[in-house]
Amino acid sequence: MAVAGKSAKPRYVYGVVRGGGAPPAVAGIAGADLELVAADDVAALTSVAPDAYLEAGREEIFAHSRVLEAALEGGTVLPMRFGVVLPDADTLRERLLDEHHEELAAQLAAMDGKVEFAVKGLYDEAAVLREIVAEDREVAQLREAIAGKPEAATYYERIGLGELIASAFAARAERDAAAIVEELRPRAVAVSVGEPLHERMAVNASFLVERKALDRFDAAVEAVGKREASRMRVRLTGPLPPHSFVELEVSA
Amino acid sequence: MATAMQQQPYRGGSGYVARSSSSGLYDVLELILDKGLVIDVFVRVSLIGIEILTIDARIVIASVDTYLRFAEAVNRLDLMATETQGLPELMEGITEGGASSKTKGVLQGAKEALFGDEDEGDEDEDQGTEDEGGEERGGGSTRRRTASATTTKRRRRSEASGSGSSRKRKS
Repeated sequence: MAVAGKSAKPRYVYGVVRGGGAPPAVAGIAGADLELVAADDVAALTSVAPDAYLEAGREEIFAHSRVLEAALEGGTVLPMRFGVVLPDADTLRERLLDEHHEELAAQLAAMDGKVEFAVKGLYDEAAVLREIVAEDREVAQLREAIAGKPEAATYYERIGLGELIASAFAARAERDAAAIVEELRPRAVAVSVGEPLHERMAVNASFLVERKALDRFDAAVEAVGKREASRMRVRLTGPLPPHSFVELEVSA
Repeated sequence: MATAMQQQPYRGGSGYVARSSSSGLYDVLELILDKGLVIDVFVRVSLIGIEILTIDARIVIASVDTYLRFAEAVNRLDLMATETQGLPELMEGITEGGASSKTKGVLQGAKEALFGDEDEGDEDEDQGTEDEGGEERGGGSTRRRTASATTTKRRRRSEASGSGSSRKRKS
């Protein structure tokens, strides 16, 4: 993209906040100072990006997360995905803040007083395997048929058995995730359900929660964790900026 | 800075839930890389390698390795045993895709890309052209999965397989 201009320094964008404030007092990517680029009542939380290209490493991702977290403490923030860079401040103003002004202002208002929490449930493999053997005759039979035989002689049977188990895990995950999400949904403003990230993951969902209702949400998650304790470990991460609950209309 | 970040720890309850703020980056990696506002025309520089890697990791999940591992685990399972897993044991497994799993989850794949091998950097350099990045994100930014009521569970999977740009990277 050809860019000419006086201050044609590329801008990394962390998120969008309300204008008028000061950027949080943490360092940005590559140690750069944070700056607000404002247009009207909305502002982009930015820093000058390294010239050539942005490294997508551990430090950079940490910095992105750190900046957003600090911003969240100061108020409402609409997080950008990691890695958004615009050629310069003017283009940023034009293409993000001006072009999407109404959406951004509306979403800032909508996200006031709300934070995201990520809930993940990880199966205890042995416990769930026992459930599966107990409930699935085919698995139990195949398991017995294989037992004691040399590995080389049962290669395909073992693959077959493993496949059955994998799909039993997946079926359970679907069921358990649906139940857990339904259980927590009344305590949240919105829910975003993701695909399990690996075969032992039962549930992977994000909830938008009112700050003032955090205790109730937490208690509900705790209840899930307690009930499932023998077979699943529940993790709760947050408060986070509302990554899963913001969006921009895609313009061509 | 670190203390400021942890102003609001949610560590209530009686310990059935493992709580963390986002300083445990591992759990928010997916959100940071995959969710949030994006302007599709513009570039997510150097991220191309990582995204492909995470997509691949999703596809690799249902592999023969996984099946064999499950078969082995179920064969070793002592059905009579009534052992209950204690908390220390549970906490031990807190790293996703832990010792027992050879299969990669998305986060694990991404984590390797980001926190693992040095050579990943070279990969990124090769691909760090802005135009490619823009195209890559063009598709990405249309995939919205925010929903206040119903987000289908299968969406991410189909998005992942829908991307034509996958490259096998299994290490």
